Amino acid sequence: MILGNYLAAVALFCVGLYVLLTRRNLIKIVMGLSLMEASTYLFIVSLAYRAGSTAPVLVSPPAGKTAKQLAHGNVADPVLQNFCLTAVVIGVAVTAVFLSVVVRIAQHYRTLDADKVRAMRG
Amino acid sequence: MTRASIRERGAVAHAAAREATECEPRHRLWVGALLVAGVAAALGVAAAGMPREHAPLPLIARYALDIAIPRWKLTEPVNEIVYGTRGFDTFGETFLLLAAVVSVVVITRPREPRRGYFGEAAAGAREQRQNDPNTASDAAEQEARSAERREQGEQAPSGGEPVETPDATPLGTPAPETAEAMTVVVRNAIRVVLPILAVAGLYLVAWGFSPGGGFPGGAVILGVLLLVYASYGRRKISQVIRPGLIEPLELAGAGLIIMTEFLGLVLMGSFSANWLPLAPMLTPLSGGVAQLFSAAELIEVGTGLTIVVFALLGMSHDWARNDQGEPRGGRRKR
Repeated sequence: MILGNYLAAVALFCVGLYVLLTRRNLIKIVMGLSLMEASTYLFIVSLAYRAGSTAPVLVSPPAGKTAKQLAHGNVADPVLQNFCLTAVVIGVAVTAVFLSVVVRIAQHYRTLDADKVRAMRG
Repeated sequence: MTRASIRERGAVAHAAAREATECEPRHRLWVGALLVAGVAAALGVAAAGMPREHAPLPLIARYALDIAIPRWKLTEPVNEIVYGTRGFDTFGETFLLLAAVVSVVVITRPREPRRGYFGEAAAGAREQRQNDPNTASDAAEQEARSAERREQGEQAPSGGEPVETPDATPLGTPAPETAEAMTVVVRNAIRVVLPILAVAGLYLVAWGFSPGGGFPGGAVILGVLLLVYASYGRRKISQVIRPGLIEPLELAGAGLIIMTEFLGLVLMGSFSANWLPLAPMLTPLSGGVAQLFSAAELIEVGTGLTIVVFALLGMSHDWARNDQGEPRGGRRKR
């Protein structure tokens, strides 16, 4: 039942959103954003699943099938796997941007509390 | 142990215990819970309506599976989609990655080591030598000199130390974080694992019928470098991980990607079209231009992630002064 995977991804997304809304620690906010990112990976990969399917590889198809038949039959969705593949790499780089901004904020304001990052300082 | 030091220790322990039990403040719990519940309900309803495991493949997926072998001679449809059918998408994501790398490089850039005009101190010293010290000084000059002495005393409270001039500060000093090497067990284990990991990463790229090609390959390269860093320390890899080498490599990878895709537009009339002869299936060159794109992506992702991670690891202790005018916490050990 792949619906369970979808709902797990929704739950993961909501945990990240809750962290974002109720916490003021910048590191935890970045963790919440990463959690939301990870939930989309789970959702995309679950969306690619087909019941009783094989991996989308056209070399040595299962017995009695040609590669052409495989394309029209039961394989996991390769387009969504492509999305997940690139999203992971972009996610790492974006998290690094967040973290470097957090380090600079900590060095400038001497706090990780987002509520205290308000005053203008030279 | 003296009584004072015992008392001091007790105070420190007390402070630590208070810090450990201190509860982190949470804000707007009910508003947050309400909003999250609303989002969860909306997403849940949306997810319930999504195609499930028995739905037929979307049209683009079937199209990609159909043309993977005849048009690209690739037995790996994922790779064909990343670098062929949806090559334009990958092209855009590559430059998203590059933008993220550039932002990290800009944000983590250390403060300029020199904070004065070049050569000011040297020129001033020469001028002062030329002045005749025996000329009589009037009241105004004496006042100016005493004011300058006061000012210098404020800047250098220890007195005996010479005032640092900007000219004396060397340019490009390394970041303060220098990791120590790990134990011999870890170092030997990593020495065994490293070549296997590096070969596996390159294998992912060299054979076009592995899914993803350059993206996982680049991540593996970052893993190899991080293992060396963790086990042997920064000094061992400082020959490789230096901005002068990897930043031009990163831009060369980006340039190679642009060239690969635009040559398709020039030679074949379509952006990201194949303009290379196709080798037989299941050989390293079987994807045509997809393999070139994948190799360029290996350079781009590998160097990009390396720049990003090592820029974060090497961020210097560049603390702003607190209200007492004293840099706290970030002081370097001499």
